[in-house]
Amino acid sequence: MKKQLLTLIVALVACATVASAQGRRGLRINEVMVTNDSSVVDDYGRHVAWIELFNSTFAPLEISSVYLTNDKNQPKLYPVPLGDVNTEIPPRQHVVFWADGEPNKGTFHTSFVLTPGQDNWIGIYDANGTTLIDEVLIPANLAPNTTYARTIDGEGIWEVRDGGDKYITPSSNNVIVDTNSKVDMFAQQDKDGFAMTIMAMCIVFTALLVLCLCFLAISRIGARVLRSNKIKSAGMTPRELTREEHPEHDSGEEIAAITMALHEHLNAHDAENTILTINKVKRAYSPWSSKIYSLRELPHR
Amino acid sequence: MSFSEFLQQNLQQFWELTGFYNATWQHFVMLAVGLFFIWLAIKKDFEPMLLVPIGFGILIGNIPFNTTAGLEVGIYEEGSVLNILYNGVSAGWYPPLIFLGIGAMTDFSALIANPKLMLIGAAAQFGIFGAYMVALLLGFAPDQAGAIAIIGGADGPTAIFLSSKLAPNLMGAIAVSAYSYMALVPVIQPPIMRLFTTKKERLIKMKPARAVSQNEKIIFPIVGMLLTCFVVPSGIPLLGMLFFGNLLRECGVTTRLAKTASNALTDIVTILLGMTVGASTQASEFLTKETIGIFALGFMAFIIASSSGVLFVKLFNLFLPKAKKINPLIGNAGVSAVPMSARISNNLGLEYDPSNYLLMHAMGPNVAGVIGSAVAAGVLLGFLA
Repeated sequence: MKKQLLTLIVALVACATVASAQGRRGLRINEVMVTNDSSVVDDYGRHVAWIELFNSTFAPLEISSVYLTNDKNQPKLYPVPLGDVNTEIPPRQHVVFWADGEPNKGTFHTSFVLTPGQDNWIGIYDANGTTLIDEVLIPANLAPNTTYARTIDGEGIWEVRDGGDKYITPSSNNVIVDTNSKVDMFAQQDKDGFAMTIMAMCIVFTALLVLCLCFLAISRIGARVLRSNKIKSAGMTPRELTREEHPEHDSGEEIAAITMALHEHLNAHDAENTILTINKVKRAYSPWSSKIYSLRELPHR
Repeated sequence: MSFSEFLQQNLQQFWELTGFYNATWQHFVMLAVGLFFIWLAIKKDFEPMLLVPIGFGILIGNIPFNTTAGLEVGIYEEGSVLNILYNGVSAGWYPPLIFLGIGAMTDFSALIANPKLMLIGAAAQFGIFGAYMVALLLGFAPDQAGAIAIIGGADGPTAIFLSSKLAPNLMGAIAVSAYSYMALVPVIQPPIMRLFTTKKERLIKMKPARAVSQNEKIIFPIVGMLLTCFVVPSGIPLLGMLFFGNLLRECGVTTRLAKTASNALTDIVTILLGMTVGASTQASEFLTKETIGIFALGFMAFIIASSSGVLFVKLFNLFLPKAKKINPLIGNAGVSAVPMSARISNNLGLEYDPSNYLLMHAMGPNVAGVIGSAVAAGVLLGFLA
């Protein structure tokens, strides 16, 4: 019964872990345009408001059945339809929804619109309609053809982008990265590699030193536990056990010397009156007749 | 078109597809390298399990063919059989599987019995960072320098894993260099060990290691994984699999899994890894000035790693009581070429004292070297990826 209960608990914990791992918590609202007069057009050639979502995880994210809404009281306003392969967002990629209030135009057209001149709250709810994944409040004073976007994709603070120095980037990264900043930093700051060597060697030494100390402690605790168990089971005092563990003459050399002396004293030689003849037998070797290659190993029981 | 013209045209097309038509002198150089590796493996018995697949892979990868004909046979042509097999290298999932096998094969008792030997494994990683500094001096970018420097860890799977992440364009040369020097460990290490040790030091006899309980053996992979991965999460693929394999071996209830991981699985992955790494050395990609630099840096990294291991033991001995001195001949084993470098320690020890068996003592730093190089790879990945 206990075993079954334990199995059930383990299974429940595993299910909960998997369910949590599959959650869409990595989905982010990334960039929003409320008034679109001359910016990007939808697949019908129209200028409409748009909302860019970003998969901030490093795995594909299936967003069908997630809810998009602009009304806190109606979290299930627009469910992302099932059965569209395009609702799977690749790792660290984007998808744009057109907020045109015409969901019959396709998967990526929401049932609500964004209203210029007033604050627009946008939220994403998970499939249960209660878990809020992400939300943003777009300020009322957002000018036409400008966007409200995160400074860094999926994270960072929000800023207004006017398309000048700050690019408007529907379906694209808010930050365009053309080099590896870490590598650049090391190339600039650590030209001779000295800092890397010091840091990395410290980390390697720390990791192995911690492991070393940990096992020194474990072996001491283990020895103490073993000893106390032995004392309990043998009914001895600690001193008696110490005497038994370390007898006065316990070195291998001494025991070997005593054995040799006894051997010599008792003249314990084997009978050696048999004649031993060694004949060299030469036989041509061939792998075709070798037992190594022809016999199969019997299976172990 | 007459019949003879038709024949001539088709035969001409066929000729243009053959290796003879497309061959360049670089192909023949690489074929010679492949044959040399196979010769080393078969005749000289230098790491045959690695050099035969790599050597034959080099032959496979350097058969000249018309790359514009869309034959889908080359390792770099998407969809080709070789390209599919190469995914394990390029995406970096062969090395963790090899580490699973290494974990399932390795007895960590020597290390558990004498945990201070772990520090020798850490010291030998200086080879990696010494080579990193020199690579930067030679003009390599930091990420490329990191990928090249990992050769000093003397750990083929780690080298492949890291280079696939940091410098995929150099991976072929790095992998071949790492495996070549691992095969040449018996040639490279003994002179260094002799150079840095005195005769008196070579004769140091170490106390036999204590017996390690089953519980300690089970705790080791769990605690080892948690501690090392908490310090360097980027080492999870390698360290996680290494310790997982070891737990399969030591827990006593997954014997079948441990056997599969240490035998069949490791053999399969070794074959695929060796062959595809060899095949990835296509002459056009491989025969460059950078490759020569990588081989030179790899050689230097090996020397620094072996030297730093030996010198660290000498330094360590200054702080140890006389009865607990460590024989510096096991310092070379801090590089993770398991178990070749430990065998070299043992052989050299026996050369100076036929009763001084150092193998079990050397296995400690040797397996610590595996952990150390995986941690070092994680550090480089964390800093530069």
